Amino acid sequence: MEANSGQPKPVSRRQFLRDGARLVAVTGVGALGGALANRAGGQTVWQIDPAKCLHCGNCATQCVLEQSAVKCVHAFAVCGYCQLCTGFFDAEPNELTTAAENQLCPTAAIKRSFVEDPYYQYVIDERLCIGCAKCVEGCNHFGNGSLFLQIRHDRCLHCNECAIARTCPGDAFRRVAARHPYLLKTAPH
Amino acid sequence: MKPEFNLLDRREFVAFASKLAAVAGLAGLARESRGDDKNSFNYQALDSAKHWKTDPKLIGYAEVTRWRSQRIGARRLAVSPDGRIQVCADNYISSYSEQGDLGPEIALPGLGSCIATTEGGDLYVGLRDHIEVFDKKGTRRATWKPADRKSWLTGLAVGRDDVFAADSALRVIWRYDKSGKLRGRIGEKNEERNAPGLVLPSPYLDVLIHPDGLLRVNNIGRHQVEAYTMEGDFEGAWGSASAATEGFCGCCNPIGLALLPDCHFVTCEKGLPRVKVYSAEGRFERVVAGCESFPENARSCSGLNDCAHGGLHAAIGAGGRIFILDIVTGEVRVMERRV
Repeated sequence: MEANSGQPKPVSRRQFLRDGARLVAVTGVGALGGALANRAGGQTVWQIDPAKCLHCGNCATQCVLEQSAVKCVHAFAVCGYCQLCTGFFDAEPNELTTAAENQLCPTAAIKRSFVEDPYYQYVIDERLCIGCAKCVEGCNHFGNGSLFLQIRHDRCLHCNECAIARTCPGDAFRRVAARHPYLLKTAPH
Repeated sequence: MKPEFNLLDRREFVAFASKLAAVAGLAGLARESRGDDKNSFNYQALDSAKHWKTDPKLIGYAEVTRWRSQRIGARRLAVSPDGRIQVCADNYISSYSEQGDLGPEIALPGLGSCIATTEGGDLYVGLRDHIEVFDKKGTRRATWKPADRKSWLTGLAVGRDDVFAADSALRVIWRYDKSGKLRGRIGEKNEERNAPGLVLPSPYLDVLIHPDGLLRVNNIGRHQVEAYTMEGDFEGAWGSASAATEGFCGCCNPIGLALLPDCHFVTCEKGLPRVKVYSAEGRFERVVAGCESFPENARSCSGLNDCAHGGLHAAIGAGGRIFILDIVTGEVRVMERRV
């Protein structure tokens, strides 16, 4: 009778090669899957959820860029094309004209143009917009909320830790798939 | 040569440290009270904040009682000839006493969006695109064919021979006869009838029949209450845009109308939620309830939400009592004229 010495059984060369080949195959399949998943949308970017934004004004001042990467955007499908747009005009305008003293925007970044009586169109000039959200607050407070903030990815530096997100009181910043980098408002019906 | 140091004694050191700590503390307190903290930084506050408090001299009504709709989603209310308050909430018409005791309810096949009562106690209810008629016992008498499948009815007025339905989606007042037959459309832009057209940035069109025989319609985008004949001829308008108490605030107000027994108008606003009384000619008379009466409603239009789903609605009861429905909280306030 053979006594059990308690020593591990030595691996044969054939067994070693077989296990090695399996390991290489599994690793290769995993790497391929990872690469495909990454290509399929694994990359993410920062974006503002309009449903959580409190229009606090931090976006204008907290971005690492001198002029913030956050800009106001306009959902025309939601807009009422108001004659008295509370995102464009001060709360108590002297008159409904584009004179600076009547405007809410500190940089005159909203262009107001006549469509037909009594409708007006409001377009954001992103070169001038500083992302202060004054217009967003005005539009939301009285109107339909068609003006809202978004991070513009042609400007964003894609910081690993967004400086605005750290101070956002509404926790409105989140990572979204780079393939769909904007969270846009749409008309309810 | 060995340098000489003037050593502080312990008493002097403690006094100096105490002064330093006190100065640092005061500086910190001052910074906090200025709101310099990043997370509370809000220089965007709208200039309308001063209108959130109404001048007490302008308030001409006092709250008698307040109760809450027992069903969620209360949108409109009307007062029956027997004095019961009919509240359109969710898929029901709920009948309440003036003190808020729930009585019989009528189940609806869908979401009720507006309601009107007749002198005989019949109920006309708008359900998105069509009207249903109930007798005073709650038995369904008729279901009218929708004027348009895109309709969104938000106001009803019932006259002796006609029913007028305010359609916020199509920006028109539909005129029906009592059998439900469509007889006309009012309020659309029409040069022959001198009608400027209804402007509705948000869905709050309302209609009422004035004892002078004209309709009154709230043209919210123009901040005016307009008068039309029943045939659709534009007769005139009053109202102006202003955040001040005398005017209608924001982009689109007044969102609701009611008529007092002395033919004065009761108007409801959103954004700055307030209910006011105007004379028959449109002159501001007094405030029924100001922004401070509806803090939750006012908050609903700031922060996370836009202002397309809030607002107030009013109906008139016996003796000119005003019933105000807060659409955000579902509360009904019973207001009585101050003597």
